[in-house]
Parts: sequence; C-alpha cells; structure tokens
Amino acid sequence: MEGGGYGALSSNQFLGSVPAVVINDEKTPLTGESSRADPRTFPPGTSYDGADRPAGNSWAAVFSVSSYTPYFNVDTDIVADRIISSINSFRGDFFGKIDANPDLYGPVWISTTLIFMLAFAGNIASYLIQNKKTSTDLAWKFDVSYFNLAAFVIYGYTVVIPTGFYFLFQYFGVAAASLVRLWCMWGYSLFIFIPCSLLMVIPVTMIRWLVIIVAGASSGTFIAMNLKTYTEERDLIVMVASAFLLQFALALFIEIYFFG
Amino acid sequence: MAMSHNDSVPLHPSSQSDIDEIENLINAAPATVLPARPQSPPRASIPVSSSPFIQSNIPPPSFHNKPPIPPPISSVSVSPAVLPVTDPNVRPTVSAEGFGSAPNTLTEPVWDTVKRDLSRIISNLKLVVFPNPFREDPGKALRDWDLWGPFFFIVFLGLVLSWSASVRKSEVFAVAFAVLAAGAIILTLNVLLLGGHIIFFQSLSLLGYCLFPLDIGALVCMFTSSVLLKVILVPITLAWSSWAAYPFMSAAVSPRRKALALYPVFLMYVSVGFLIIAID
Repeated sequence: MEGGGYGALSSNQFLGSVPAVVINDEKTPLTGESSRADPRTFPPGTSYDGADRPAGNSWAAVFSVSSYTPYFNVDTDIVADRIISSINSFRGDFFGKIDANPDLYGPVWISTTLIFMLAFAGNIASYLIQNKKTSTDLAWKFDVSYFNLAAFVIYGYTVVIPTGFYFLFQYFGVAAASLVRLWCMWGYSLFIFIPCSLLMVIPVTMIRWLVIIVAGASSGTFIAMNLKTYTEERDLIVMVASAFLLQFALALFIEIYFFG
Repeated sequence: MAMSHNDSVPLHPSSQSDIDEIENLINAAPATVLPARPQSPPRASIPVSSSPFIQSNIPPPSFHNKPPIPPPISSVSVSPAVLPVTDPNVRPTVSAEGFGSAPNTLTEPVWDTVKRDLSRIISNLKLVVFPNPFREDPGKALRDWDLWGPFFFIVFLGLVLSWSASVRKSEVFAVAFAVLAAGAIILTLNVLLLGGHIIFFQSLSLLGYCLFPLDIGALVCMFTSSVLLKVILVPITLAWSSWAAYPFMSAAVSPRRKALALYPVFLMYVSVGFLIIAID
C-alpha cells in the first residue's frame, strides 16, 4: 500500500512515468463515481469525509446522469409496444403497461421528432400551397421560425400540462398518480401526430382537417381513457374532459399555425 | 511482493540514493555535461542508473515493477568514476523513453501547435469518416479525441446554411448551431442514459466529425441551384454520415437497445439534411 503510494508519489514528479499517473487518474474518478452512485459503499460517519458526504450526494445526484438511468431503462421492443398501444386509444390500459417501469425515452424523442416533423412538414405544406396558387416558388422562403414555435409549444405542452394535472391529482387526493407516469403517458399520446403531420402535407384543406380532427380525437381519447382509471370512484369527470379538450386544442393549434 | 520489499528494506537506502544522486549531480556535473544537452533538467542524469541497481528509483515506466536491489547503491553510485564511462551509450535511449515522449508544448512556436492540431484533426477525420481497417474497432478510432474538429464542422455547417438562406440568416445559423451542438450533447447523454458505455467527449467529437460529409453536401448545394442535384446529393451525404456514426453508437449500447440509441442520431442527421435541401 505504502509502496504503491510511494511509487506513485515519486513517479508523479518525473515526466517519464506517464502510464503510472494515467492509471491513478483513471482509478480515482471511478471510485468517486461508485461512491456517488451508491452511498452504501462507504458507511457514513466512519471518516471525516463520510460525515458530510450523504447530504452533498443527495443534492449532487440531480446533476448525475446515473440518477436518471431508471427512467430510460427500456429496450427497443418495449418502446415499440408502448407506441403501438398509444394508438389503440380505447384500451385504457397504458398505465398498467408502464406501471413497473415508466420511461422518459419515449416522451423525449417522440416530442423531439414531432418538433422536427412539424417544422419540416409545415414548410413543405406552405410550399405546396403557394406553388398551387401562384405556380411559381419564387415567393416561398423556408421559414426557420417554425422550429422555435414548434419546440416551444410541444416541449412546453409535454412538460407543463402533465405537471399541472399531477398537482391537481395531488390536490384531489389521487395518490396513484405519479409525475413520471403522467409525463410518459402524455408523451406517448403525441405519437399519433407524427404520421399525421406527414399526411397533412397534402395540400387539400378538407383532408387536412379530417386528419387532424381524427388525430386529435384519438389522442385525446387515449389520454381520457387512461386518466379515467385514476378517477373511477371519484367525481373527477371534469378533469378527464379538460384533458381531452386540451389535447384536441393542441391538434387544432398544430393545424392552424403550422398548416394554415 | 515487490511492495513489501520496497516498503521495508529499501526505503532508507533508496532515499539515501536520492541524496547520493544529488551529490553525484553536483560532483559529476562537469563530467556529464559533455554528451548531454546542457539545458536538460537535473533529472537527466538518471543515466547514472546505467548501473542496473538504481533503476527502481527513477525508472522509465517499463522498469517500474522490477524489484529493486538496493544495498549496493550507495557504494556504486558514489564512485563518480563509473559515470562518464557508461553515460554516452545509455543516455540517448533513456532520455528518449523518459523525456522525449512528452515534448514541452509550452515553449514551442504557435505555428507548431496549430500544425499539430490540424494534423490531428485530419487523422481523426480519416479514422472516422473514411473507410479503413480501423473501422473494425470503433472504440479505438477516436481515442485521441479533440473538440476542434467538431467545432469547425458545426460552425462551418451553420455558416454555409446561413449564407445560403435568403431571409433570416442569423436565425438559420442559430437553429443549425443549436441543433448540432445541443444535439451532440443530448445524443451522448441519451446513450449514457440507456446504460451504454461511452466516453462523453469522445462521443461529442465523433458526432461532430461525422458531420463532415454533410458539410461537403451543404457546400456543394450552396453553389448549385439545381433542386434535382440537391435531392440526389444530400441523401448520399446523409447515408455517409449515418454510416460513419453507426458502428460507434451501436457498439456503445447493448444490442437490444441499438435502435433506441441510433434513432436520435438518424433524426438529427435527417433534420440537418432536410435543412440543407430546404434552405435555398
């Protein structure tokens, strides 16, 4: 032990002994990482460091990647299964499916995909409409601001609305509702808009409205049916209905602002 | 084994040998100046250890684990007569191992630094983007990662896009830069969150280097107005970029999550490719 320490110390001071230093550098962060990930490796209170480490750890864990890995603990087939069940709006068993393992991978990447799809499909749609009207694309310019609008609206909707419902559920005493599950459910409910935004490129107003109404109704029903499992014995039909209406309003917003 | 030996017996003698060595330095300095570079640091007189006994004390890395044979040190190394005889043969090899490998980058000319960084960027680019045997082991490809290359490629792509845009140029640059820079970070975090094993900056570096084909595509598209050419060229560069990033990202995660790690990469490159086509 001491010999190693002595070797490391002495070799530290010479330019020639790089490998020894590198090995030491690799070891030190590793032990630090493991102690951060699992505080039980070092019994607290045994040393000077151990006394104040747990408090610092629980606060610093917010910035540690490893504390979020439980929410991304999904495989490809699980994600595919959840996406498929998010299209079956009337089943209402989504919470049963994600019960043990709600993930945030789906919400994050579904909403991100939707943002890109909306920005591009919206631009293509406006291009096609102007082409049809003027038969020349001189007037059309790629509008980058669709990105900003889409990112603001979609990310905001996926984060804020479930949070609001979570606090409402807490207020009404529905203890089963957990924030991550609500985020997960709302995120997956947006999936149906991704293929729909492709369909809405078709420059026929009738088809666009048809598609967006079907998509909004389907996704709203998905949310409403799943929220109903939380509110079965209580008289919270207002919340379920408002969730449905909010989702439908999002659909209308997409149609009006990106494809109007 | 060597530890305990090192611990108990030689601690005193070896520290003694330190002192001896310093003494040697002072005493034998005039003698050793001849073959050496005069400016080399005091430790350059390690070659004292050409007599095999002192090697444990200030070793080149490969000798580090050899059990020391301390007792005769003082007697041998004190005698200054040994030094000049063996020095000329041994000094070059030892100094090449011990000191030549780490050139002093603080005192070199700026142009040398720039040249070194540029050549590193080029060699990394070759490793990542162009087909070669090293592709078989993607983890090794960017062991010597740097962030200059990604920085240049991201900024260059943003600039090309904003030059080719006819309206809202600065906003185009902002969106492209944000998507690429934040995208690289988020994609890396995504792999880490999926439980993959990846080195953060290495992955950032790789994702940036993989933009190079798209850079070329954007540059060509800036000088052409033919939509057909763009529509053909951009998917090719897109496929090239994705193909360059594929082995690294897929090797980082477990096979059952490969698609989850690769999809966001694909999404980012497709988005950038679409930006290149759409912005005229």
